[in-house]
This record gives sequence, structure tokens and C-alpha cells, in this order.
Amino acid sequence: MKPATLVLRNVTRRRSRFAFTLLGITVGIASLVTLLSLGTGLEKEVRKQADVLGAHLVVTPKGWCAYEQISVLTGETLPEAIPDADVKRIASIKGVQALPYLTQRTAIENQPVPVVGILPGPMEVFKKWEVEKGDYRLDERGVVVGHGIAKQFKLFVDDVVALRGKDFRIRGILSEVGNRDDLAIYLDLPVAQELYGVGDKVSFISVKVDDISQIDKYILEIRNAANVAVVSDKQLLKSVLGIVGAVGNALQLIAAVAILAACFGIINTMMTAIYERRREIGILQAVGARRKTIFSLFLAESGFYGLAGGLLGVVVGFLFSYAAAPYISQNEFTAFLGSEQTVRLFDPAITLEALSFSVAVSILSGLYPAWKASRLSPVEAISYE
Amino acid sequence: MSDPIIRTEKLGKVYDNGYRTCALAEVDLEIEPYTFSCIMGPSGHGKSTLLHLLGGLDRPSSGDVYINGANLAGMTSDQLADFRNRTVGFVFQFFNLIPVLSVLENVQIASMLAGMPDREQKERAVRLLESLGLAEKAVARPNQLSGGQRQRVAVARALINDPDILMMDEPTGNLDSTSESELLDLICSLHGKGKTILVVTHSETVAARSQRIIRIRDGRIVSAEI
Ligand SMILES: Nc1ncnc2c1ncn2[C@@H]1O[C@H](COP(=O)(O)OP(=O)(O)O)[C@@H](O)[C@H]1O
Ligand SMILES: [Mg+2]
Repeated sequence: MKPATLVLRNVTRRRSRFAFTLLGITVGIASLVTLLSLGTGLEKEVRKQADVLGAHLVVTPKGWCAYEQISVLTGETLPEAIPDADVKRIASIKGVQALPYLTQRTAIENQPVPVVGILPGPMEVFKKWEVEKGDYRLDERGVVVGHGIAKQFKLFVDDVVALRGKDFRIRGILSEVGNRDDLAIYLDLPVAQELYGVGDKVSFISVKVDDISQIDKYILEIRNAANVAVVSDKQLLKSVLGIVGAVGNALQLIAAVAILAACFGIINTMMTAIYERRREIGILQAVGARRKTIFSLFLAESGFYGLAGGLLGVVVGFLFSYAAAPYISQNEFTAFLGSEQTVRLFDPAITLEALSFSVAVSILSGLYPAWKASRLSPVEAISYE
Repeated sequence: MSDPIIRTEKLGKVYDNGYRTCALAEVDLEIEPYTFSCIMGPSGHGKSTLLHLLGGLDRPSSGDVYINGANLAGMTSDQLADFRNRTVGFVFQFFNLIPVLSVLENVQIASMLAGMPDREQKERAVRLLESLGLAEKAVARPNQLSGGQRQRVAVARALINDPDILMMDEPTGNLDSTSESELLDLICSLHGKGKTILVVTHSETVAARSQRIIRIRDGRIVSAEI
């Protein structure tokens, strides 16, 4: 017989108590795994989207908050506030290339889909888009769609989509680019403006400059030309990462509380078990178990909770984040958390991290009970009936 | 006369949880190797206390216990644990088997704690159970056994590391007379095989088969004829 036999028999002898304690640690670790798997590569994803935008500067209406700035990167609906006159004035600055965006939303099969009004020509050059099927032709009645949208809703060239009650024919489907550009329907800007009744206004302008070293000069010139706010891509990134980080911190706090509760569950279970088994502890000591043997046996028992609960938690956590990702991504705040590229059903690094964390906190929780057990004296345990 | 295997000097034990109980006082005792002795006396007069001190289960309040010439007081708690593991085998009145382990595993426990390899543990335990007529109960749980069978399992557990001394605290106290005489035969045969045996008992039947009766009253030895 090995000591492990004794540990396993003991840990499972009270079925329901075992199950509830295990459930506690499972929930704690599952929330940690969900957090990690949804948040993994979060920052990377944000940076990637900023790259996709490909801008040095982003021109927004005055008074936008970070929340709206995030939406520049996620392609959510934005208020339209920059008039065409401003767009023209900014575009006419020497060394500046300006691309106006109008971002709106529609629904296909009850799921929200971004609709983006663009200037087709400059955009194609700027983004280096390629066309997978059909033509890159945006006009009065024609749109192109991103690869991801086409795939998700099984759209083909010459299919018709209704936007605000008006039918548009899909002229082309873009090749996959591996980012949010795959997940939008693109309209000619004037058509979009008319469709959504926003006059000649746009949501924001992304700006590329010829000479990056002169960036401060360009910012000044743009501010002089129009009554707008200008942020650099780096500032934008910083404020978006700040918000994303705050959301992440809140989630971490929730996971921490769940795990802390699980730890108290383990401590409670172990203390009860030691009280119930003090006689058996005495027997073990009477037949020659050293204090550190008793200590290790009980520590192993609480460690087992960590291992089993951790494994279950990892499975539940990954399943949950996989299932939850599509819903979470509909919310602007967490749009990045669940974008298709970030959630994987299994991640060895997260698994390892969560498992070792689970075992570590369980063992930590078991220290005091195990120490208590090892301090019992053989006679005390045996004498009383 | 050979050196005593067990010797005490002015052994005393005071329990103090709330109020003081003087359970044992001034006990001077010598026990020769390979003998079969009984400790007798009324309930609550210190028999178990004496046995616990001799077996290294508890520490005295005063005086000393020498086993094979070694003073238990000089041992660390680890050394004392090893002493309980190898030198003495203890059998309690209430069997004290571990309910989640099979009969075989209960017997193996002490050899596992001694660090014996798996196979050897098992071989020894099987052999012991066979010699005690319990071979077919090896995979049973303790609660599936009768009192007499449980007590024989407890004896097997005490014997697994082949200790020199076997200490038993009222081993027949919970047994019917048939089981008692079976256990008594077992004790005598172990004595015949060279164990030193010390039994706390109320049973005259057991006492009659022993070589020596140590009588205790109020924590003191009143007679210890050989
Ligand atoms: N752990 C203990 N704590 C306090 N008092 C005890 C303890 N063990 C025994 N006693 C007391 O010591 C005395 C002797 O007990 P014990 O050795 O068990 O007697 P016996 O075995 O002869 O019946 C009794 O008065 C008993 O109440
Ligand atoms: Mg007693």
C-alpha cells in the first residue's frame, strides 16, 4: 500500500462534502480560466486592431471619451459629428492623407453587423485589400462584404442584403485579412450618409502623414483647420489599453474572490475531517506515523482538491469562455475580449498556470489544518470514546 | 537473570485539563524479556496510562521509562514514532481499525510507514492473516467482521514489523468467551514464539495463563509477584 491510497480513500469518504468543496474550487478556477482565456492576447489584439486602422492620427469630434475611442478600433456604431467641410479642409493639408469613416450597424439574422461608409478608392489603396470573389464595386445599390461576414451568414456574390429596408446587392467579397475588417459590410460613404440620414457628416477620420517626424506640426495644422480633436495612434492605444485593463482588473477581482471563497471551503472541510478522524490520526501515530507524515497526508488531501478542482475548472472555464465569447463580443466594452481570433478551446499555458495556481492555493489552505492534525497526540485521539 | 526489557523509575503521570488527576505515581517496574505479564486493577486506576507510557504513546510527568536500556524521555517525537513503529506492537480494546481501508491494508499500515516496499508489505500481511485464519477476509472492510475477527486483525497489524514487545489494553474486553479463548491461545502462541507480552486485563482467564500479575490501585503498584 502507498500513502496515496490512504489519501484517496479519505478524501472521497464523505461524498457530498467532497463534491461541494470540489465545486467551490472548480468555480474559482473556472472563472480564472475564463478570464485568462478571454483576456489572453487581449493587448496583442488591441494593438493589432490599431495596426489595421493603419493611421498615424485619428481625428474625432471634440469631447469624445475613451469609450468612444475604443469603438474606433472595434467598429461599433459611433455618433456622426464631423461635417464634410472639415474632412475636405483636413484632406487638403499638404502631406496628409485623410480617410473618413461612418460606422453604423445593421442586423442580419438578428445578429449585429457593423456597416461602414468609406471612400472606396482611397480605402482600397490604403488597406491593400484584395477581392476574393466578384468585384470591388461600391455604388448606389452595391456593397462589398468582409470575408468573415460572408462566411458567417453564407453570403455570396449577387446575394441581396437589406440595410434599413433598402436592398443592396453584394458585388464582391474581400479576401480574408485576419482582423476586424473581415467583419463588416462596406458602403460607399455618400450612400451610407444618405441611408442613415446623417447629412454630410462622418464618425471619424483616420489620417496618415508623409513625414512621421513632423507629427506635432500636423496635429497643430489639423486643429487649426477644423474644430476637432486629434489623437495619435499611440495615445489612442494607451487610452484603450487603459480601459481594457480596468475591465480586466474587475474580472480578476471576481476570480480572486471566488478562489478565496473556495480556499475557505477547503479549510473548513479539512478542519471538519480532522475533527472527525482524530481517532484515526491517533491510530496512525500509535503504529508509528511521524508528525510530518500526518502533516503530509492531510496536505496531500487538500492538494488533491486543488488538482481535481483545477482540472475540472480548466475544462469548465474553457467551455464557458468558448460558449460566452460570441455574446461578450456584442458589447462594445468587451468587444476585444471575445473576438474570434482570441478564444481558443484549449491553451496549454493557461492550463498549466491555472492548475499550478489551483494546487498552490489548495495546499496553502491545507497548511493550517494539516499542522493542527500533526499536533494531535496519539493518546488524546485514542482514549476517548 | 537477564537485563529487563522494560524498566521504569519513579514513573508518574498527572493529567491537567482543567483539574489535576494524578493517574500514576512512583511506579518502579521491571519486566524480563520473553515473559507474559498481566496488569490488573479496578477501572480508572491507571492501567491504560501505564501501558501508554511504556509504549511511547504518551510522555510521563515524572520519572523515566527504559526500553532495552534506552530512555524514552531522551527521544525526539520522530524517534518515538519509529520506536512505536518497530519495537512495540499495540492492541487496543476498541480494535481501532481504519474503516476506509481493507483488512489487508489495515495490517499493512505500519509496514508502509516503515518504508517497506509494496510487495513485501503485502507478502507479510498475507502471511500474517493466513496464520491468524483470516486469509479469506483480506479484502473485506473492518465493519464486515465480527469482534473477534477484528481483534485478530488488530493483532496482525501490531505484528507486521515483528516487534519485540506486544502491548494489549483490555484486548478481550469486548469479546464473547469463545473469541476470548481463541485470542488467548493466539497470545500464548506468540509468547511461545519469543515475544514479550504485556496485557491489561480484567479477565481471570487471561491472568491465569500469564506468568506474572501486576496489580495497580490508585496509580500505584500494590503487588507484582512473579
Ligand atoms: N487524557 C486524559 N486526560 C485526563 N484524565 C485522564 C486521561 N486519561 C486518563 N485519565 C484519568 O486518569 C485516571 C486513570 O485512567 P486510566 O489509565 O485510563 O485507567 P484504567 O485504564 O485503569 O481504567 C482516571 O482517573 C482517568 O479519568
Ligand atoms: Mg483503561
